[in-house]
Amino acid sequence: MNHVSRRNLLKMMGVGAGAMALGGGSLLASSSAFAARNKELNILCWEGYNSAQVLDPFRSMTGATVKAESLTNDPTMINRLRGGETSVWDLINVNNPWARKVMAPAGLIKPLPRAEFDHYFDAMLPDFKAPYKWAMSEDGKDLLGMAQRFGPFNYVVNTKKISRATAEDTGWDLFNDPALAGKYGIQESDDWNVFDIFLIAGINPFVVHTPAEMEKFQQTAIKVFKGAKMVSDVASLNQAMVAGEIDLYLTGGTYTVSPARADGYPEMRGITPLRGPVDGKGGVSWIEITSVVNNPAISPLATDFLKYVQKPDVAHTVAFAEGTFNPVTQMGNPECFKLFTKEELDIIQWDSLAEEMSRCVEYDIVPEYAAALDMITAAKRMR
Amino acid sequence: MARLQVSSGLRYASPVLIFLLLGFLAPLVTVVAYSFASPKSFEVFTSFTLANFSAVFDTTNSVWTSFVWSLGLAAVCTVLLAIIAYPIAYGLNHAFGRYASLVSVLFVFPLFVSENVRLYGWVQFFIKNGVVDGVLNSLGWGPAPEVLYSPGITLFGMVYTYLPFMLFPMTLGLSMVPQDLVDAAADLGGGRLMVWREIELPLAMPGILIGMLLTSVLAVGAVAEAKILGGQSVITVVHDIEIAFTYAQDWPLGAALAVLLVLIIGGLTLAVLSRLDLDRVLGRR
Repeated sequence: MNHVSRRNLLKMMGVGAGAMALGGGSLLASSSAFAARNKELNILCWEGYNSAQVLDPFRSMTGATVKAESLTNDPTMINRLRGGETSVWDLINVNNPWARKVMAPAGLIKPLPRAEFDHYFDAMLPDFKAPYKWAMSEDGKDLLGMAQRFGPFNYVVNTKKISRATAEDTGWDLFNDPALAGKYGIQESDDWNVFDIFLIAGINPFVVHTPAEMEKFQQTAIKVFKGAKMVSDVASLNQAMVAGEIDLYLTGGTYTVSPARADGYPEMRGITPLRGPVDGKGGVSWIEITSVVNNPAISPLATDFLKYVQKPDVAHTVAFAEGTFNPVTQMGNPECFKLFTKEELDIIQWDSLAEEMSRCVEYDIVPEYAAALDMITAAKRMR
Repeated sequence: MARLQVSSGLRYASPVLIFLLLGFLAPLVTVVAYSFASPKSFEVFTSFTLANFSAVFDTTNSVWTSFVWSLGLAAVCTVLLAIIAYPIAYGLNHAFGRYASLVSVLFVFPLFVSENVRLYGWVQFFIKNGVVDGVLNSLGWGPAPEVLYSPGITLFGMVYTYLPFMLFPMTLGLSMVPQDLVDAAADLGGGRLMVWREIELPLAMPGILIGMLLTSVLAVGAVAEAKILGGQSVITVVHDIEIAFTYAQDWPLGAALAVLLVLIIGGLTLAVLSRLDLDRVLGRR
């Protein structure tokens, strides 16, 4: 890598400013960047891991300064590392494909010591036993991260308006139904909307597409966005569902609907279609993988934190941290599972979780993502 | 003597100047540099291309509609605010008397609450079974018309959000119209409309223009109203910039859009400021 990264540039500017401020004096201050970091930890994550419930016990246990920044899309987080922030962060928490397919090959993360971590997978739910595909490098040798939160992520339906059976059986064709135009919303997670538009068009999103398929994608995007009553954030969509403005929305699942279910609206439900164009499956699921960043001055607390969140009580806290509520892989451990109340299990749709996950393919990278996203943005402008 | 004053002034100002150069200009330079970087890369300062700008101006790219919406909504919002704020500003100066400060506080108070929270509040107000719909239903006059998730409600949100930014400069402008001149004009036989048109309006114009400038600059950058109230029924240009920097991860394209927006707003500002005597506005006549 021969180019000047943004971070290096800013660093140079910072050093220059320091030199000016000190009148060309000593640059000793810059050496503090290399000081030991055994009392600090920086986490780049989806919301939940940045909550006080999760971080405060770790802070008091270690006496460390723990900073966590939450973002709500994977590409931004990956590109923060690409942009030069590997020297800032110790842990990165993103969805499954990025660790083995992008971050590890690009040298943005480093493997975990398998002797210390492999055994944690033994206590996870059956689908996540070691060697768990998405936690491993492509060659299957390195452990690249730990799995915790996961869930199916397709669409959310008000089952008082459209029954669960109808919603599951009709599948993505719900959004092809002219009768439902103006009655659905679209969640603003555009990376997931790319998957969904492909699925509504009856196309497997995770393979290389022909121009004819991309054309069909574009036409479907225009139609689906035109038919949407609103495009908005999770909170607004749940609110609109409860108020009766809309009857369903994509993209959604346990992750988005759990706050509404927790508020006393169990009729709001994440739905996974019975069938679809991905080898017969129509659902997509996500599994978060938390990896250690390839930071030249990595904090020794990074691996400690990964072990800390495996504890049954902490895993339960992670599942029900502020914001959204999600199943965790550690529910395979009876010690963890027993901490979940009946209400909590109901909020995360535990009753159908296993069958829904079995109807899902795992989140993957769309080869023509950039072109598809442009089509979605253009479709939004044509509403 | 004059030379000495200048150089000591510069000397004393130098810490602030350096601070401004680093803190204000450096990020701006970085954004401009990004706009000339290779598309979808982080090769800032090491690559130069006009591809990002040509992508924006490509005829197949519909991003121009976002510029049109942003500029159009900002223009309508500014005109509406000028019409709405003028009577209030007049009232604050001449009619509300001892209640004037209370009224001012009422207009300032919402600024202490986050804009997003206030906009979510309006959603509760207009949503189905919300405040308006609920009240009308209980009176048997329901259901309320559907107003959410439309460009119209986006405009409403903008007018609501930016009202104080129009009101206070306008109030200041009107307060600088000497009452003697108004009285004299009336004594000389000017009718109310004529006094307003010939005396009040021209003298208050600097304040009005500053208010319009402030609101239009802010309104061009509006995004929360279109997202929260408007349900993204329109995509504003700032939203496009946001998409470029997040989901699309095309920082150079986002930077190019940002630079174009800065140029448009900068041009607008300069055009207005060149017609404005700032000294008079600030009371140094």
